Amino acid sequence: MTWLWRVLLLGFRADLRRRHGAEILSAIAAERREPRYQGVLGAARHGVHTAADLLAAVIRNRRASPEGPPDAGRQAERHTHMDTFRQDLRYACRQLLRRPGFAAVAILSLALGIGGNTAVFGIVDSFVLHPFAFPDADRLLVIGPSFPKLSSEVAFIEVLSPLEYEDFRHARSFAGTAAFDLGNRNISGGDMPERVFTAFMIDDAFPVVGLRPLLGRGFTPDELRPNGPPAAVISHRLWRSRFHGDRTLIGRTIRVNGNAATLVGVMPPALLLIGTDLWIPWGGSADRVPRNRRQISVIARLAPGATRRMADAELAAIAARVAGDHAAQFPEYAGWRLVTAPFASGVLQQVRPAGFLVLGAVALVLFIACANLASLMLARATGRQRELAVRVALGAGRGRLARQLLTEIALLAALGGLAGFAIAWVAIRASNSLLPAQITAFGFGAAINARVTAWCLLSAAVAVVLVGLLPVLQTGRADPNDSLKHETRQATAGRGARRARHGLIVGEIALAVMLALGAGLLLRSFLNLQRVDTGVDSHAVMTMRLTLPQEKYRSGEAITAFFEQLAGRVEALPSVARVGLTSQFPPQEFFRARVLVEDRSPSTGATLPTANATIASRGYFDAIGMRLRAGRTFDDRDRAGGPSVVVVNEAFVARHLGGLPPLGARIRLGDKPEQSPPAQVIGVVADTANAGAASAPAPEVFVPMEQDRDTWNQLFLVARIAGDPMSAVPAIRQAVAAIDPDQPVYAIQTLDQAFETSLLPQQASTVLLTIFAAVALVLAGVGIYGVTAYTVRSRTQEIGIRMAMGAKRSAVITMVLREVLVMAAAGLAIGVGAVLALGPVLSSMLFGVSPIDPLTMAATAGMLGAVAVAAAWRPASIASRVDPVVALRYE
Amino acid sequence: MAARRRTDLRHPLSLSVVHILLALADGARHGYAIKQEVERRSEGEVRLGPGTLYEAIQRLEDAGYIEETSAKEDPENGQLAQRRYYRLTPDGWSVLRTELKHLARLVDHAQAHPRLRRAGPA
Repeated sequence: MTWLWRVLLLGFRADLRRRHGAEILSAIAAERREPRYQGVLGAARHGVHTAADLLAAVIRNRRASPEGPPDAGRQAERHTHMDTFRQDLRYACRQLLRRPGFAAVAILSLALGIGGNTAVFGIVDSFVLHPFAFPDADRLLVIGPSFPKLSSEVAFIEVLSPLEYEDFRHARSFAGTAAFDLGNRNISGGDMPERVFTAFMIDDAFPVVGLRPLLGRGFTPDELRPNGPPAAVISHRLWRSRFHGDRTLIGRTIRVNGNAATLVGVMPPALLLIGTDLWIPWGGSADRVPRNRRQISVIARLAPGATRRMADAELAAIAARVAGDHAAQFPEYAGWRLVTAPFASGVLQQVRPAGFLVLGAVALVLFIACANLASLMLARATGRQRELAVRVALGAGRGRLARQLLTEIALLAALGGLAGFAIAWVAIRASNSLLPAQITAFGFGAAINARVTAWCLLSAAVAVVLVGLLPVLQTGRADPNDSLKHETRQATAGRGARRARHGLIVGEIALAVMLALGAGLLLRSFLNLQRVDTGVDSHAVMTMRLTLPQEKYRSGEAITAFFEQLAGRVEALPSVARVGLTSQFPPQEFFRARVLVEDRSPSTGATLPTANATIASRGYFDAIGMRLRAGRTFDDRDRAGGPSVVVVNEAFVARHLGGLPPLGARIRLGDKPEQSPPAQVIGVVADTANAGAASAPAPEVFVPMEQDRDTWNQLFLVARIAGDPMSAVPAIRQAVAAIDPDQPVYAIQTLDQAFETSLLPQQASTVLLTIFAAVALVLAGVGIYGVTAYTVRSRTQEIGIRMAMGAKRSAVITMVLREVLVMAAAGLAIGVGAVLALGPVLSSMLFGVSPIDPLTMAATAGMLGAVAVAAAWRPASIASRVDPVVALRYE
Repeated sequence: MAARRRTDLRHPLSLSVVHILLALADGARHGYAIKQEVERRSEGEVRLGPGTLYEAIQRLEDAGYIEETSAKEDPENGQLAQRRYYRLTPDGWSVLRTELKHLARLVDHAQAHPRLRRAGPA
């Protein structure tokens, strides 16, 4: 920071600077070491205190002893020794110091605009644009299929089958490809068994992403072969947390789900493959997995010289060939495509819209700050018209004057940019500490890097151009003859300037209106989302996940026995009211199955509809608080080997049963439902927010845990607790340990938290947009104040005449306010128009509120009116107190 | 002294200026020591930022209330060469006395007021 203090020191008069400059710097350094300025916040406080102290001292220093007229000799020396730029800079400094109020407002509004932009860019950069520390990340692609026969969605995670991967893994456009399946594995040994998010690799993904192991190596071809020697690579995070950063670990044996594997490598600290921590070879052979069991994700790195377009063309040819070979057996191949996307966008589809919305919004704040400053500069330029005219008349070139003006603006932008950088630094740090643990655990976090710094510089440069454009054009137009002649009528002379100023204010108001409307709409839609009837009673419900290792629980009976025993033990706990087990619960959906309804069977070959397929134990419906609409839920009758039964939700009845009486209807479920035995619908439950609060309820079928043919080894425990839900966690852990001491539980959260987390992107963008809108309104208020105060000052004489002719005070106030309200109304109209034009884009981000929302518009108009009147009140009342006698004498 | 401009210090002196003069009443100090002494005496209530401090020192010097003195021996201080020590001039003593008299009178007046009587340390 020292250089900043050196810059500020330049503000002092030379004698003070020469005599005390070094001591001031060393005093600042000494102060920084004081206990109250320790830590991150301390550093920030020290920066702010010191800057404020120096600025105040500079102003006092300049005021106390104004520079006397420099003698001719020194003047000449200056001209020879100082280049024009330094002279301009000095002049600019002096101009700013002469009007500290103006300088402070200008710097502060630029700092808010630039700082906000930099902070949001930093966050968007690290979460949306460059979340992964891969070299040449833009040449790393994800590949996923689009099956027009199945759905219109394109997805990239767990979407292809190994055989489909085989079809294109040797495509010429790619330097390398890799595929992985995702799952969880227990690492045991040591104090606590730990559940680790794992990727099972087909081909070595590390060279494809472009990262080399920190220790050891990646996988050898031998290890990647089916039944090759078991090997494992772990993440830096896991190495640190579980193995205490032990460098001698390579080559040792660890236990993965009870099986021995050789640890061959440790990766550097980076987010790899969607946050996985353990990588082991997949070890299967592609031809033993059915072509339509799609559960792997594929990444590919473009070959040198290849482009994404070339890759797309090659993949299209491959897809067409596959369709020709297999469409008879798998009808979904008709018209299918293989789609590529940059890795980051494929993985972070959901946060992108929110990120860009916020970035756009904060850009508006910068534009407003610039418009503000431009109008202030214009006002000042008009005030200085005579001074400039005199200088032109004395031989100053117009270019020179424009340069001087730009230097002044650049100085303001530089100071604003510095302050903005400090704001961004603090904001980014604060935002990291606000992130929920689920996100920071993946290694995500925003930071100031070269790109963010560049963005800050860019924002400042944009500010210089935006602010400078109009005033500089205005300088070019001023005719010295005119200006000097109209010496007393300067205000009325600058009609063009006045129009430009008002136009800027109107534009500024329009932008602020857009932000306020956007924030209002997001706020309403967020409130709607929170009020959505989730169909469950999320209060006092605890959820956690258990995954039984397949190596230990080999049979379906063993798995069912474990979960039944667990349900019994947990339900016996005094704090637990009801307990259930399920494969998924609102607001998340993981598993879908195809559905075939008997007696409504579509012709063979047609694409079957899908529904969420959920495994549920008897207690699940009560534990989560679902409402029964008809029939019954599961009970003791629904055992393994008994008649197959299912419960469906109302959306299922409406969508798939098409008028059949639901109770007693027979449906088949599965990848190939025509081969599954039919099950009878015995109950209908109310819809839940099973696809997230923002989406319509999805059709859902519940299958009794005991009758599930695939026997899921991974289920959630859902317990309704009497009292604080978290308080029951230790007792539940004990119940698990009593059955199997090696069995970990994880993903512990309350149902309320699960809903809150699912709304996090909406919440974040709502909060940010509301802050921006507030800043925008304040800036617009400052702009209105500046312009009105200027207008009143320059019309003092006119107002005096009016009052001398008998105008009342209220009439003067009305006159001033009317002008302001006309500007506000124009800005409001433009802003509302822009939001209406953006309606289609906006409505995709809104929930339960239309972009044309009268309440939001009325609230925005009301707030804007209040801001406008508040900002104009003081100038208006000053105008009304003009003393006609003084005003007429005033020149 | 003659070479120096006699900048006019506004009277009454600002509180931070009085604090600085008072800190020098015990003897010569360098700039940062003045700052620390002021903070100590005021129990942290008066904090002088470096800019404020040296700007005030310059003004007091220009007004002839304080003057630079030859550096004291200070074995702990490695940066001795960089630091200037200041002490009160006779003018400085007299202006400080006058100022404190004003302040004492002000406090006396305040004490006479029934609602302010207990403003001092209880």
